[in-house]
Amino acid sequence: MENEITQSVLCLPYADKVLDEALSWGGDYAEIFVENTTVHSLELQDQRVSQTQQSLIYGAGIRVLKDSCTGYAYTMDLSMPAMMNAARFAATAGNGGERLSAAALPQVPAMPLLEDNVSIELMKKRLLLLDETVRNLDGRIIKVKAAVATRDQQVLFVNSQGCSFTDYRPRASVFLRVVMEQDGQTQMGFATLSLQKDFHQFSETDFTDLAKTAVDRTAFLFDAVQPEGGEMPVVMAPGASGILMHEAIGHAFEADFNRVGTSIFAGKMGQRVCRPEVTIVDDGTQAEDVGCLRWDDEGIPGQRTVLVDKGVLNSYMHDRISARHYGVEPTGNGRRESFRHAPQPRMRSTYMMAGESNPEDIIRSVKKGIYAQVFTNGQVQIGAGDFTFYMKQGYLIEDGHLTQPIRDINVIGNGPRALADISMVGNDLLIDHSASMCGKGGQSVPVSQGLPTVLVDKLVVG
Amino acid sequence: MKNKEITEYAMSLALKHGCQDVKVVLMQNNEDAIDLRDGKMERIHHALARSLVMNLFIDGRDGFFYTNKVEKDGLEAFIRQAVETTRMLEPDESHTLADPSLYYKGDGPALCNFDATLSQMDPQEKLALAMEADSQLVGSHPSIISAETRYSDRQYQGWYLISNGFQGYEECSRATLTSICTVEGTDGQHPMDGWGESRIFFKDMPRQGIAQTALERTLRKVGQRPVQSGKYTMIVESPVAGNLLVPMLSAMTGQALHQRTSFLQNCQDVQVGSPLLDVVDDPLIPGTRGASHFDEDGVATKRRMIFEEGRLRTYFIDTPSAHKLGLKPTTLGVHHMVFTPGQSTLEQLMGQAGKAILVTDFNGGNCDPSTGYFSYGIEGFLVQGGVIVQPVSGMNVTGNMLDLWKSLVAVGNDADPWEAELIPSLMFSDVNFSGI
Repeated sequence: MENEITQSVLCLPYADKVLDEALSWGGDYAEIFVENTTVHSLELQDQRVSQTQQSLIYGAGIRVLKDSCTGYAYTMDLSMPAMMNAARFAATAGNGGERLSAAALPQVPAMPLLEDNVSIELMKKRLLLLDETVRNLDGRIIKVKAAVATRDQQVLFVNSQGCSFTDYRPRASVFLRVVMEQDGQTQMGFATLSLQKDFHQFSETDFTDLAKTAVDRTAFLFDAVQPEGGEMPVVMAPGASGILMHEAIGHAFEADFNRVGTSIFAGKMGQRVCRPEVTIVDDGTQAEDVGCLRWDDEGIPGQRTVLVDKGVLNSYMHDRISARHYGVEPTGNGRRESFRHAPQPRMRSTYMMAGESNPEDIIRSVKKGIYAQVFTNGQVQIGAGDFTFYMKQGYLIEDGHLTQPIRDINVIGNGPRALADISMVGNDLLIDHSASMCGKGGQSVPVSQGLPTVLVDKLVVG
Repeated sequence: MKNKEITEYAMSLALKHGCQDVKVVLMQNNEDAIDLRDGKMERIHHALARSLVMNLFIDGRDGFFYTNKVEKDGLEAFIRQAVETTRMLEPDESHTLADPSLYYKGDGPALCNFDATLSQMDPQEKLALAMEADSQLVGSHPSIISAETRYSDRQYQGWYLISNGFQGYEECSRATLTSICTVEGTDGQHPMDGWGESRIFFKDMPRQGIAQTALERTLRKVGQRPVQSGKYTMIVESPVAGNLLVPMLSAMTGQALHQRTSFLQNCQDVQVGSPLLDVVDDPLIPGTRGASHFDEDGVATKRRMIFEEGRLRTYFIDTPSAHKLGLKPTTLGVHHMVFTPGQSTLEQLMGQAGKAILVTDFNGGNCDPSTGYFSYGIEGFLVQGGVIVQPVSGMNVTGNMLDLWKSLVAVGNDADPWEAELIPSLMFSDVNFSGI
């Protein structure tokens, strides 16, 4: 038992030795992150469930910190010699300083590896239901592509401060793409759903609702046009418009960018950055949300962090390194894609709290602008603060009314200016549960976002 | 077990458990990375990773499986379950292995795109290279807020085994040195930019110029702002010009065609761009990045025109798509893509343009694959009379891909020969920009 991992249990009987080795070059902190993840996906195309992808991801990452320097190595062999080798490499971050010892470890938990209990039959059944529902909704449909996926991650974590935990993180997702044809014109629409729960906990209604959403979105595109561009007011619809929070503000509030001074919000802690109606949080406590974390990936309990409190910058999102730098407690935002990666400050579920305005009043207040509803992707330049998000569908607003359907435009703004330009906040906060992935530093993690109806006085519309 | 033996063992297990055909790839990656910030070490990273990818074919069913647990003990259980899962699929006769007559026969010359020394050299050599670039950047200008230098390298080796008659091995490597700089800007902005260069062999890594280029590119961005909306000549700088080809290439895959999500449907040999749109995939030139004798299905690669004087000359048809579309399969994607260069340097293009926007980076945006409508955020410079007059950001460029490529009016001669995609700077007329 001393030198091996059993096939059915995730455990580290020699964690103390590995951590001691990791600290042998003068590192001041060391941790081991062990992961066993299984991914099952099934895809329907041309009315047949004819494709599957399955993955087994297994290994351990060892991180050593010396002040703000990180040493990282990973191994897919959890035998003691392989782990010690990885620890020796990560230890070089210590750069030959004073040798510390790991704190006495409590009993390091062991975690039985889960039996693979994903029901392929149930996944098939749901896909066929989705296909049938979609095709019955509109005679113009010519192609349906749908996929369901489960990702079940088991984690074992131990660090040199005596912290250890095990965690089970299920995630189930549904992806649907619809192609319609009308008068020789082809349009493609989509809808997705992703939650932190087991696949069998999705209801039939989840699938039929998703089908209707995708079909409505696709049909919408036949009448939609690319609008004339320029600078104009933008009303963000509730829900998926949380992409505004994610791109305009979220990334720039990640403390690693602020610690080194590159974020446009660096040095603004405690300053007023927008109107008092605006309160923005990043939340790791919402059950079933893909951003929900009982523990983050460096052993900090999941929590809710108020980033902007009534218009004042209240907190960045911290990992252990940035928290040390600022002399504050970590906020539970240390996340990593897998054992192959060191954690970094990342968003979880980022949203704006509801305000007091009636959504109809917000639309009525706009003479000429756009109403943004459905999005595909976004991006931000951290230093300059310029952010963009791609709006797949929305409406023109003319004299306070939604008029012409619009599509396929990029919306671009500057984070601090856009934040300051939020002039009305609706009372209809909605958290969006589309399958959103956030990329940073070569790592991708699931996130969610939300927003009530919000008016931004001016953004550049493509 | 050695890597090749793992592929043989995995295939024997799959066949034993009832597969009629099997494709197995064992991939090994060896990676090192060093990050320096403001003269201090910020991150050191090392990884040696193996993973196994399998396609199992049973009675017209095809499943894809991945694991990085490649020890003999665990493989049998993994493959047994993979076989069971594959059996639960609905049959689709289009899912077959490629025709063996198309496979690479192993008779090509060495492609010389692998540096075996990368995993053997003293890590101090890599650190010294990074520190040299870092020392040229840190403290070199009073406006610098943060200076980063990143060195990374990767060796890839892949062992391929396909049950209907293919066995192959390929290898490639890449070392990259990048400097990134953030400076004090105007209005509280912190402009950031960088410059990086990659080589196949460590010995070819440049020792000078990267840090200086990163700093120059960052400083010239100070004062960025949007300019007036309208139609401008657009010059897209070489390092990012390939971004505009991506939607075209994506729309040319067999999947996009048979799923009807391509704006390039029925365009074989059709004029889809200006005569200057001339692109070849040239995968067999030794010593170039991307060079490969075969694609991921084992099909032999060859030189072929993708666009020839504006006409679309080939789709990327995988075997299942070929069955569904009634077309002949081709190789998957591009390997070493060369855009036929023009005569002009970037500066000469700017001189020819009159009033133009030089795009040096894209900031988000997307393209609808079924219609070709696009909208991308951009940053760059307003150019007049051949000189930069204003740094630009916060603007979008919009249009339709087919219209855009028909408006290609000039092609530069400045593609980076060390890249896998040699795309020079490109100039388009009458492009719609949204700003103030």
